[in-house]
Amino acid sequence: MDLTREEEAILNGESGEGMQKAMELVTALGKIYGAEDLIDITSAHLSGASYKTIGDGGLKYLEDMAAGGARVSVPSTLNPVGMDRERWREMHITPEFAEKQLRIIDLYGQMGVQKTCSCTPYTGANVPSFGDHVAWAESSALSFVNSYIGARTNREGGPGALAAAILGKTANYGLHLDEKRRPTKVIEADIDGSVFSYSLLGQAVGMAMGSGIPYFRGISPELEEAKTLSAAMAAAGSVALWHAEGVTPEAGSFDVSDLEVIPIGEKELEAAYDKLNTVDDVQLIALGCPHLTEKEMHQIASFLKGKKKVRDDVEIWFCTSEEVRARCPEDVRIMEEFGPVLADTCMVVAPIEGAFQRTGTNSAKAGNYLPTLCSQKAMVRDVSALLEVVM
Amino acid sequence: MRFEGRTISPGKATGEVLRLDEPLSFLGGVDGSTGELRVGNGGNVKGKVLVFPRGKGSTVGSFVMYDLMVHGCAPAAVINESAETIVATGAVISSIPMVDSVPSVSMFEDGDVVTVDAASGAVDIEGVEMHESVSSAVVSDGRVLMLRRPASCHSFPGRWSLVAGRVEGDEDPVDAASREIMEETGIAVSEPDARLDPVYVREGNVLWKVHPFLYRVGSVEPVLNEENEAFDWVAPEDMAVRDTVDGTVGVVQRLLSK
Repeated sequence: MDLTREEEAILNGESGEGMQKAMELVTALGKIYGAEDLIDITSAHLSGASYKTIGDGGLKYLEDMAAGGARVSVPSTLNPVGMDRERWREMHITPEFAEKQLRIIDLYGQMGVQKTCSCTPYTGANVPSFGDHVAWAESSALSFVNSYIGARTNREGGPGALAAAILGKTANYGLHLDEKRRPTKVIEADIDGSVFSYSLLGQAVGMAMGSGIPYFRGISPELEEAKTLSAAMAAAGSVALWHAEGVTPEAGSFDVSDLEVIPIGEKELEAAYDKLNTVDDVQLIALGCPHLTEKEMHQIASFLKGKKKVRDDVEIWFCTSEEVRARCPEDVRIMEEFGPVLADTCMVVAPIEGAFQRTGTNSAKAGNYLPTLCSQKAMVRDVSALLEVVM
Repeated sequence: MRFEGRTISPGKATGEVLRLDEPLSFLGGVDGSTGELRVGNGGNVKGKVLVFPRGKGSTVGSFVMYDLMVHGCAPAAVINESAETIVATGAVISSIPMVDSVPSVSMFEDGDVVTVDAASGAVDIEGVEMHESVSSAVVSDGRVLMLRRPASCHSFPGRWSLVAGRVEGDEDPVDAASREIMEETGIAVSEPDARLDPVYVREGNVLWKVHPFLYRVGSVEPVLNEENEAFDWVAPEDMAVRDTVDGTVGVVQRLLSK
C-alpha cells in the first residue's frame, strides 16, 4: 500500500501505541481488500456497543484502548446498546449485565465517541453529506447513507471503524471508488408502497441477490421506507448500496440497459413473508428496528390514542434513540400506556432470550436476527396488525 | 524450508503447528478463557502456530482472540491461506503475528516447528525440505494409467501413483512431465490437455510441490522401466479402493473436470 510519510510514521509507532495499533488494523484490512492507499473520512459510526454482542473480550479491549489514551479524531456515534440506561429493569436485565453495559458506554465516551446509541444516527446525531467518505459499521445505517445520501463507506466492522475513527482515515477500496458503486442488477418492484411492503421487498431482494448492488425501478421511498429497505437487504443478504431511479442521488449516473432485470412482486413478497414468520403467537412485541423516527412515533401514537391494551401476557417495547424520545413527549405519553419507550437499545442487541421465546416485529431485519442472535421464534407483521394483538 | 507469505499482523514468533483443515470461527470454535479448541481434533491453541485456511463466522470472533490474549492463551502466530476481516482484526488488536497467502495448509503438519516473521512475511518450517515434482494422469478411453512403485522406492513405496518424478534443476515442469512419461512408460506426449496449480504433499520431512498434468492418448501399451513394477488402466471411480499416493484421487477428479 502507498502510505504517506506521516502514515508510515504512525505505523512505526512515532505517534504512540494507540495510533500504531489503529494504523496496523486499517492497513491490514486495506491489504486484504486490495486498497492502494488510505482516504480521509469525515465521520464514523461504531458497532460493538452491546455487552451481549462483544462479551468480556470486547469489554477488555475497550478498557485497554481507553487506558492507552485512544481518542477518535472525527465525529463518531455508537450503535444501540443492550439496554435502556435507566429503564433496564423493565427489560428483565440483570444488574451484572447493566454494570458492564454502562461501563462500555463510559469507555466509548472516554474515547470521545458521542454517547447517543442509535442505529439511525443519520436522523440527527451524525448526518454525512453527498460524496463524503465515512467509516460506518451497522449494516442498515451504512447502506442508508451510501444509498439515500450518497456518502461513501464499506461495511466496516466494530474495531475497524473505531481504528478509522481514531486515525480519521480508512482504507480506500470498494464502495469508496466510483467504479465499485455501479449497480449489478435491475429490480422491477411491484409493491403497495406501505412501509411493511418495503420490509418484505428488502427481504426478497436480499434473498434473491445476496450481495451486489440493486437498481430499483417502481419505488419512491421516503426516509422511513429507505431505512426499512436498507435494513432488510443488509440482513437478508449483504447489500451495502442500492440505487432507486428518480430517487437516490447517484441513480442517474449509470447506464443500466445491459443489466439483468429481476421482477419482484406479490409472489416474492409472500415467499419473504413465509420465510420470516415462524410463529403466530407472541410474548413480546418490539417496534423500532431500525429505531423509530419522529414520524413513526407520531403515527404509532395516533393509532394507539383512545385504545386500551387488554392482554397483559404480552409486553410491548418501542425502541428509539434518546434524541427522538426527548423530541416527542406527547407521543411518548400515549405509547407508555402500552409499554415502555426505550432509548438507545433494541430487541436484537438486548438479551431478550432470558425472558422471552416468541417475539413480534414489523422489521425484516429483526425477523432475520431474532432466531439467530436471540433464540426467538418470530412473527413479522405490519405495525397495526401487531398492535391489534394486545387489544 | 522457508517461503514468503504476506504480513497481516506484525511480529515474530516460533511455535509448534496446530493445523485445521476447515475454516475456523473463533466464536464457538475456541474457548476464549482457556484456549481449548472445540473443532477439528481438539487441542489447545495456546502458544501454537495456528494454521487454517481462513476465518469465518461472527465478527465477535475478533474479541474471542482478544480474550485469549488477556488470559495468556493466545496462539503464538496465525497462518492462513487467505485472510478475512474477522481473524485479521483479532490478530492485530491482540498483537498476534499473522501471515497469509501460503499456498496450502497441507504444507504443514501438526508438531512442525515453525517460525513466522511477520515483519517480512517469511515462514520457516524447521527441518523440512521442499522438492518439486510432476504427476501426470495419462488417460486412454476414460481410464487412467496407474503405476505401482516397488517396495524399494524412496518415496511412497509400494503405492499406486500417476506417472510421477522429480523436476530436475531448472527444468520446466511440462518438460519434466513428458520426459518422465517417456522414461517410465515409453509413451510419447506433447502438450498437456489440462493442468492444475501445484499441490503440496507432505511425506515426513519432505514437502513435495507437485505439478499435476493430464494427457489424453490413444490406444497405447506402456513399456515400464525399472522404476515401477506394474501398471493398470483404472476407471476414476475405482481409484479410491487402491492404495494410492496421498492426494492422487482428488487430483485426478479435478484434472478430469477441467
